[in-house]
Amino acid sequence: MQQTAIPKKVKYDSEYGSTDLLNPGHVGCPGCGAVLAMKFALHALGPDTMLVIPACCWAVIAGPHPQTSLNIPVLHTAFETAGAAASGLRAALDMKGDTKTTVVAWAGDGGTFDIGFQALSGAAERNEDFIYVCYDNEAYMNTGNQRSSSTPYRTRTTTTPGSGKVQRKKNIVEALAAHRIPYAATASISHPEDLIRKFKKAKDMKGGTRFIHIFATCPTGWRCPSEMSVEVARLAVKTNFFPLYEVEKGVKYIINAEGELPVEEYLMTQGRFKHLGDTEIQRVQAMVDDDFAFLKKKTLL
Amino acid sequence: MEIMVSRSSITTTGNNTGAWRFVRPVYERHTAPCSAACPAGEDIPRIEALVSEKKFKEAGEVILMENPFPSVCGRVCFHPCETACNRAGFDDAVAVNSLERFVGDLLDTSDGSLPFEAKEKNGKRIAIIGAGPGGLSAAYFLSRLGYSCEVFESEEKPGGLLRWGIPAYRLPEQVLDREIKRIESLGVKINCSTRLDSSFIETANESFDGVFVGTGLGSPIMMNIPGEELGIGWEVFLKEVKKGTQKEFKGKAVVIGGGNAAVDVARTLVRLGASVTIAYRRRIEDMPAFGSEIEIAISEGVEILELVAPVAIVQNAEQLSIELQSMKVEGQDGQRAKVVNDGDKKKSIVADRVYSAIGADVEDEWKGAKTVSRPGNRSALYNEKIPVIYGGDLVNADKSVTSAIGSGKEAAIMFDILLAEGGSKAGDEEAVKKTTAACQVGDGQSLSFEAYIGGERRNVVEGVVKFEDINLNYFEKTALKDKNSMKADLNGFDEVESGIDEVSAIYEAVRCFNCGICTDCGICSLFCPELSVLTGNEGRRIELEYCKGCGICVCECPRAAMSLVKEAE
Repeated sequence: MQQTAIPKKVKYDSEYGSTDLLNPGHVGCPGCGAVLAMKFALHALGPDTMLVIPACCWAVIAGPHPQTSLNIPVLHTAFETAGAAASGLRAALDMKGDTKTTVVAWAGDGGTFDIGFQALSGAAERNEDFIYVCYDNEAYMNTGNQRSSSTPYRTRTTTTPGSGKVQRKKNIVEALAAHRIPYAATASISHPEDLIRKFKKAKDMKGGTRFIHIFATCPTGWRCPSEMSVEVARLAVKTNFFPLYEVEKGVKYIINAEGELPVEEYLMTQGRFKHLGDTEIQRVQAMVDDDFAFLKKKTLL
Repeated sequence: MEIMVSRSSITTTGNNTGAWRFVRPVYERHTAPCSAACPAGEDIPRIEALVSEKKFKEAGEVILMENPFPSVCGRVCFHPCETACNRAGFDDAVAVNSLERFVGDLLDTSDGSLPFEAKEKNGKRIAIIGAGPGGLSAAYFLSRLGYSCEVFESEEKPGGLLRWGIPAYRLPEQVLDREIKRIESLGVKINCSTRLDSSFIETANESFDGVFVGTGLGSPIMMNIPGEELGIGWEVFLKEVKKGTQKEFKGKAVVIGGGNAAVDVARTLVRLGASVTIAYRRRIEDMPAFGSEIEIAISEGVEILELVAPVAIVQNAEQLSIELQSMKVEGQDGQRAKVVNDGDKKKSIVADRVYSAIGADVEDEWKGAKTVSRPGNRSALYNEKIPVIYGGDLVNADKSVTSAIGSGKEAAIMFDILLAEGGSKAGDEEAVKKTTAACQVGDGQSLSFEAYIGGERRNVVEGVVKFEDINLNYFEKTALKDKNSMKADLNGFDEVESGIDEVSAIYEAVRCFNCGICTDCGICSLFCPELSVLTGNEGRRIELEYCKGCGICVCECPRAAMSLVKEAE
C-alpha cells in the first residue's frame, strides 16, 4: 500500500513563539506589532544578544527607567545613532574578546529610513558585524503619527492630511542591498516561521552587516482594530503590498511568498486608507504590481 | 573616573497592564455543525482531535459517552455530520462516518468493561418494550444513571431493525452482537421472544417505575392494488434471509418502492442470485433511499425502472405479471418531483417474484403515540403513577437508526428528571423542557448525556460554529484521501464496505477543523504580545494581570474556541 505522509500537528507557540527574554507588563499599545516582532526575533536569537535601541516606540516599550521589559542588555541611544552605536558596541565586545554575543540594532522606520540613515549607511559600507533590524510601522508613531519616508503613497498621517502622502514609500532593502551587505531580508509579524528562519540565518552569517526589515502593524496609528493586527500584516503579504524576500550579497534575490489578493482588501482594513477612492486604489494596485514585477525580475539576475 | 550610566534595576512585571483592558478573551466551547447535526449528539471535533493524536481508545470513549453503537453507526448512519461539515466549504468534508467505524471497531469490549462507572443502582426499574436501537439505547443510558432495566423483545434475538432489517453485507451480525453485549454488561436484562402488547402499560406500575416504548414500525404499508397478496413483504423477506430460511433465488424479481428497504431487498436478492428490477413511481433522484446506496445497487446490477406505479399483480402461468401505469413529472412536491398519470400509458413486466417495499407504519396497537421532532417535546404519558415515553421510529419524524439512538438517550434523561427524588411531579413538562434545553447540542435535535451528567460539554455556549468563523490561514487544502469503500463482492453476505486503516484515519482526523474546541495548538499564545496565554494542566488560560484585551488571540484562533467578552463596568 502506498504510504501517505500524515500532516504533522504543530504546537505553534513552543515552535515559534516561546521566549523568556521578554517580560509582560510592558507599555506597548494593545495589539502592538512591534512587540510581536521582538518576541519572535528573541525566540530566534536567544539570550546571548545585546540590543541597541535608538528613539522609537521600543525605547518606551523597553521600559521607563528604571524598569526593563527585556531580560538582555539594552543600550538606549539617540535617534540618529543606532548604526554608529551598534558599531561601537561590537568593537567594545571584540576588544573584550567576546565575539560570540550577537549585537542587534533595533530601530523604527524613522530611525532607519530618515534620521538614522547616515549612521546605518556608514556602518553598512564598513560592513560592521551586527544585525540591523528595522521594525516598520510606516510613520513616527511614538510621537503621534507623523509621516516618514517609509509611509506609503496616499497614507493619511497628521502631517499628510486630506488625500494623504504624495510620495511613495522608500525601498529601504534596495538601498541596503546597494551597499552589497551579506544579507538583507523582509519579514512580517504574520509569518513567524519565516521571520525566525531569517533571524537564525542572519545570526549564522556573522561577520558583516545583516539587515532585516520587519513589517509591524500599528493598530493605534493605522486605525485598525487591535485584534486585526496580525491579519492586517498577513494581508499586506497576501496582496504583495509588503512582499517577503531575501537578498544575499546585495544581488541574489529570493522571493518567499507571492500574493494573489487585490490590494484593496488590505487597504480597506485600515482607517489611514479609508479616504481612497477607486481611482487611487487602482493607482496603488498598479504601483504594487509594478514593484512586484520588478522584484521578480531581480530574482532572474 | 568611572563612567556613570543609569541602569535599569527592575522589570516591567510590576505593571498591571491588565487594568487597560475593556474586553477580555475567554476560552469558550462552541458547538460544531457536525455535532449539532448528529442525531446522537456526538462530540465529533473532540473525537477527531483524539484520533489525530493517535488516542484511539480515548476517542472511542468519547463516542461511547453519547452513543452505545459506534461500530453500528460507523456502518449504517446516514452521516448528516458530513453534510454539515464546515470543511466541505474548503475542500472535502471530513470522513466522520469512516472514522467512527475505525474507532468503534478498535474498542475492546472483550472483558465487558466500560470506560465509565455507572451510578449506584437507585432501586428504580424501567421496562423497555422493543430491543431495537431506541430501546437498547434507552437501556444503556438509564443503566448508567442507576436504573435497572428490563427489555422485552418479540423476536428471538435483540437488535430490532438492526438485526432483521439491515442486510448482513451492510452490518455483519457479530458487529451488532459485540455492541449489544456491551450494553448487557451494564446489567441490562433482555427478554427475547417475549411480545408485549399495549395492555402491559396498564399494569406496568405494579413492577416498574417507568416504561419506554420503542416497538418501531411493525406494520408494512399496503399498495392497495389487486393481486397484492401475490407479492412478498420486504420485512418478511429480509427476516427470512437473516434467519437462513431463504438461501438462493435464481429467478427474476421486481421490487416495488424507492426507499432504503427497497434497495436493501434488491441488493439482498442480487446476492441470492436473482436478476432484480426496482420499480419506482418517481425518478431516481427522488428516491428516499440514500444516494450512495442507490449507486451501489446499480453498480451491483440492479435495474431501476423510473416513473411507473403498480396497478395490479396478475398470476400468469408460473410467473407473475406486474401491470404498471406510466407516470410523468408535473411540478415539485417539496424536495421531490410531483408525478401524475401519463395519460393511460401502461406497461407490464413479468417476474418470478414481486416484493413490496413501499414502507412501514405503526402497528394499530401503538397508534396512540404522537410524532416528535424536537428535544424536550418527546411525549411523556402517565399511567396514573408512572411515566411512559415513546421513542425510535414509532414516533420520530426522522426514521433512522441514529435518531432512534438519540431518542433512547433523550428518554433516559427524561425519566431521570421525572423520577428524581423530590423532583417533578407527573405532568411537569417545564422541568423537562428546562433541563433538556440545557443539554441540547447546539441548535440541533439531540441531547448530550455528558452535559446532563455535568461534564465538560455543559459549558458549551449557544450557537454553532459557521464556516466564516474558521481562520482558514491555518489550514491547507488536503482533499479527502480515503473513506469506507466498496469491495466488489456479490457472493454471499460478507460485508461489502471495507474500513480505513490507521494512517488514513489519522490523516483524515488531522483534516478536521475541530470547530469550537481548543486543541492546544498554541496560536493564541504565539501571537500574544503580552505573553499572557499560559498553559496549565487544565488547558490554556489568560493571565489577566497583564492581558490588555487586544483580542489577537480570539481573531487568530483557527477554530472558534475563543470569544471576547466585555469587562464589567
